[in-house]
Amino acid sequence: MQTPTAHRHPWSTALLIVLMAFAVPVLSDEQEASDWLKRLGPALNMTSYQGVFVYARGDSVHSMQIAHRYHNGVVEERLVLQDGGNGEIVRKGMNVVCVLPERGRVKLDQVIPSGPFAEALTSQLVPVSRWYRAEMKGEDRVAGYDVVSVALSARDAYRYSHRLWLEKTTGLLVKSQVRNADGEVLEHFQFTSLRIGNDIPDSEFEIRTEGREIATTLDAGKPEASRIGQMDGWHLGWRPDGFMPAAAPRSGKGQAVAFSDGLAAFSVFVEPAGQVDMPTGASLIGATTVYMHQVNKGGSGFLVTVVGELPPHTARQVAESVRIENAVAARSESP
Amino acid sequence: MDDRLRETLSAMMDDEADELSVRRLLSHDRQDEVRAQWQRWQDVRDLMHETHVPADRLDISKGVREVLDGRHSALDRSGAGALRASTRRWHWPAVAMVAMALLVGFGAGAGWDSSATGTVQPVTAATTDAAAPQAPVREIALQGLDEEQWQQMSRYLLEHAQHNSVGAGRGAVGYARLVSANGGGY
Repeated sequence: MQTPTAHRHPWSTALLIVLMAFAVPVLSDEQEASDWLKRLGPALNMTSYQGVFVYARGDSVHSMQIAHRYHNGVVEERLVLQDGGNGEIVRKGMNVVCVLPERGRVKLDQVIPSGPFAEALTSQLVPVSRWYRAEMKGEDRVAGYDVVSVALSARDAYRYSHRLWLEKTTGLLVKSQVRNADGEVLEHFQFTSLRIGNDIPDSEFEIRTEGREIATTLDAGKPEASRIGQMDGWHLGWRPDGFMPAAAPRSGKGQAVAFSDGLAAFSVFVEPAGQVDMPTGASLIGATTVYMHQVNKGGSGFLVTVVGELPPHTARQVAESVRIENAVAARSESP
Repeated sequence: MDDRLRETLSAMMDDEADELSVRRLLSHDRQDEVRAQWQRWQDVRDLMHETHVPADRLDISKGVREVLDGRHSALDRSGAGALRASTRRWHWPAVAMVAMALLVGFGAGAGWDSSATGTVQPVTAATTDAAAPQAPVREIALQGLDEEQWQQMSRYLLEHAQHNSVGAGRGAVGYARLVSANGGGY
């Protein structure tokens, strides 16, 4: 087909060219950012590396030493706490041994939820780019490695924005930040020393701390998967778009459900109100918000708690949307 | 894994397994073995047909299970003949679901810019709607909590961190959140 309009209105052709000049780089930038993000998930598992990282949120800072390798198709990992009590976590495929610090209460079967899709669900299946605008932020250097920086800006006010730094050759996540709408950094993760390479000796994956040892085999065939997003006796009236049911943490009493949009996650706990009187409102620890409030139904009180990497007003909106339908079912102890 | 299960797997490869056997296979307690066997056969078949599976280590058992559960009531009503027909159909929805989900991921993301902004609009409307109660959320200072209250709150923090740790594909960040929630120190 001819394009006579272009001849009659040369300005429209010019406009088109100008528009394209703007549109093309924006598109390729977003494409490049998503290409990097696609490597993130596999890189976390398949890259072999060792180093020390720090993690800061609120006014607490932790550092851990990590060795990770992908050896004969099996992930091997050893983490050693660098401050506070002594402790380490050693993982070989589905076998985990944990030497806990004094006050340790880590439940191993939940450290690595191994249900089907556990990893695929969050790293690949959720269309992150619908809820975050991905953008390349140039190159930098972290822990001695050349990195690219990707900004993931929240498209709405219901979630925080993220910034990721990925090592250039492997795509390994070496630094990350969670920021609020004002650009303030709420949570910070960063390797301070890092060595990427396959030549990590076997001895790096052996337990060396003396202490209470707990060994667990993570069983892939757990019924947890069937509990995903399941709520007994109550329901969630609202949640921000894009948050999908994820593997649920098992609460001691009452029920918990979890949701993730691929980057951020939140858990909702509904429990019979106990003896402890909890205040209504939000507590903030870095990027993590804990919002609690009580509801009454059928003469009994329930404590609704939302914990997640969400802005406080989102956490409140989620918590306030919880409706107790059946006070008896909601009181039932989870297995 | 016994011969009967192996037979079911093989039937699944040919798209001819019946629902009961597939359920039995899914409830087999060595899922890793089942998956490994499935993977080996898929690899062999792919090699023979020279096709490429986009995510070759993807586990479709959950998808299959969901489709089975979703169809349950329909199957109860219909007879054995319908069962036969539906077993042929369910296999593909499961695969299609996975393929769809992968497509919907980042690959397709770049082209969505304008449409995504479109879908965000009602959300923004909701925000302005909620702007009235968006009066500042009451903040509870952690320092103001007593021992029991803090204990209860840290239990929630820990459970959330456990769920959100390594399995969520976050690697070291997941561990860090977990340790941070566990170690206290605020």
